[in-house]
Amino acid sequence: MLNGTKNIVKKELSRVFHDKKMVFSLFIMPAVMIVGMYSLMGTLLGNMMSDIEEHVPSVYIQNAPADLDEMIQTTGYEADIEYLEESDNIDDLKDGIFNGTVDLLVVFDEGFSDTIGAYQAAGDPIPEVKTYYNTAEDYSSAARESFVSRVLYSYQQGLLTQRLGNMEQLTVFFIDKDPNASVIVDEKKQDGRILGMLVPFLLNIMLFAGAMGLGVDAITGEKERGTLSSMLVSPIKRGEIVFGKLISLAIMSSISAAVYVVSIVVAMPILMNGATGGELGAVSLQFSPLEVIMLFVILIVVVYLYVAIVALIAVLARTSKEANTYVMPAYILVMLGSIMTYAGTGDTKLANFFIPIYNSAVSIQNLLMGELTLAQFGATVLTISVLAAIITSLITRAFNSEKIMFNA
Amino acid sequence: MIIVKDLTKVYKLNKKQMLELKTKKSMKKALDKLSLEARPGEIYGLLGPNGAGKTTALRTIATLLKPTEGEVKVCGFDTVKESEKVRKSICFLTNEIKLDPQFSPKYMFNFFGRLHGQDEKAINERREKLFHYFGIKDFEDKKIDELSTGMKQKASIAVSLVHDPEVVIFDEPTTGLDIITARSVTEYLKQLREDGKTVIISTHIMTEAEKLCDRIGIIINGVKVIEGTLNEILVETKSEELEDAFFELYKQHNREEV
Repeated sequence: MLNGTKNIVKKELSRVFHDKKMVFSLFIMPAVMIVGMYSLMGTLLGNMMSDIEEHVPSVYIQNAPADLDEMIQTTGYEADIEYLEESDNIDDLKDGIFNGTVDLLVVFDEGFSDTIGAYQAAGDPIPEVKTYYNTAEDYSSAARESFVSRVLYSYQQGLLTQRLGNMEQLTVFFIDKDPNASVIVDEKKQDGRILGMLVPFLLNIMLFAGAMGLGVDAITGEKERGTLSSMLVSPIKRGEIVFGKLISLAIMSSISAAVYVVSIVVAMPILMNGATGGELGAVSLQFSPLEVIMLFVILIVVVYLYVAIVALIAVLARTSKEANTYVMPAYILVMLGSIMTYAGTGDTKLANFFIPIYNSAVSIQNLLMGELTLAQFGATVLTISVLAAIITSLITRAFNSEKIMFNA
Repeated sequence: MIIVKDLTKVYKLNKKQMLELKTKKSMKKALDKLSLEARPGEIYGLLGPNGAGKTTALRTIATLLKPTEGEVKVCGFDTVKESEKVRKSICFLTNEIKLDPQFSPKYMFNFFGRLHGQDEKAINERREKLFHYFGIKDFEDKKIDELSTGMKQKASIAVSLVHDPEVVIFDEPTTGLDIITARSVTEYLKQLREDGKTVIISTHIMTEAEKLCDRIGIIINGVKVIEGTLNEILVETKSEELEDAFFELYKQHNREEV
């Protein structure tokens, strides 16, 4: 490496790593915040779920058939149940459901059991069980779901057996007696689809955010403080200074992005455990050595491109405030480019791999699903490298411009 | 050795700058055919009011600005075509160029020593010598951010001299310094002269110019109106003091512009 570049990279890195506040705010705080936030969300979600499970719903049943209570006992359905007669007014209860003080009202047609018992042939009356509940209330929804699936369904099955004697008459054939044995899937592709939606977007955003936070200070900040000009009077090429700045920024942005991604990967299961009660299996990833190299190369060129974009904006801006304003549209562009992978399930059209930013996101997505071709990879890396080289030369030109550097 | 020949520098003004300067012209001539020569073993003083073009001249010599017309040669190298070689042999100190406040004077000294391609042994020897001279040893490991203005200026001077340059360019070297620090700076400039270095400074402090400079050039509105030793200038303007001479010249030449 060029001597000047090497020295500048060393200095820039020690500028950040010898500053405890910087290390804390750049690398430690984001990790703590993400893990903390996700854990908190997971715990809250978990608490909510167990709260609903533990809640004893208040249920009112009108015109209950004589054998219903026995059925409720055998299924073990737990609730404060009150039985009503046909003559009782249920309007107050409906208000109660509306206000969330009553969880469920079940109304059996009058003479429910008699109507069922009198059934002979098609066209004879069939009685109805009506449930009233509030979809905006978690307790109410849960009470209804549980009552229908546990009590009413069992009750219905019992009555059917009574009527037909042999339930097998109703089953003409089975569909998938063992559903798990039916699924034939490439586990890698399936897991990759889940991650493929999330990871390219996150990586792109985090890499750019890292470059944004550091780049503006390292370039516009130094310009403002007058410390950049001290380097401009030293006998090294402007290109070496630019290169040194970009490389050190790329290194730090990568570390910061890695911190984010690792924190998210660590925090995700905590969140998921809370939300699903730990039902989600571990999402595993397996890469071939070639894929690891491809991912690595894509990430390196992408980091460099983002750092270069931020640096170009930073060098053209006169103040840090100005730079932060100008960099926002670029940030939004990166977001838009990478959010497109959220909807799609992998792009295969080669021409699209020549669209910068989008191509990096979709390449990572395809890679996670094990579907990235060498042509797609080549197009992506080539496009990004060319763009990065153009931007680097523009930055060097800006460094050589007395108008930009000294406002002269 | 610094040779400035017919140096003209024209700035393009944008609309905002035109408004600020209350002018309708989109160009501002900061320097108009400036020629001067600063030789080894002498201190050349560039004198002028604010906005006369002193800093522009020094920045052009230091390769930071490119001449619109004319040429500047430092130690025989052209400041445009051989700017790196020029930067190797100069040190340039100005108020706008500062040391990174997050580092210590020692770190910055070593850093710039390495940028100048010096080996560690030479850097350490030079640092010992300069830090001792300017009394920086006691705070060499402190962050520059925590230093007082005078200490910062001393550190800047020491760091700028890390590569023992042939040509020393100081833009208002004593501005903002207390008498004691200012004295140590001027004493060092004298020592550099003894060592046969070429020193060029800009100043608007007349007494400093009187005491320090071997030759003085006065610029007003980008034009050099007089050049010579203190005596020559006093004789030519028929004045007792440099300050009187300066006012005399200012009255003459500033009126012409209006």
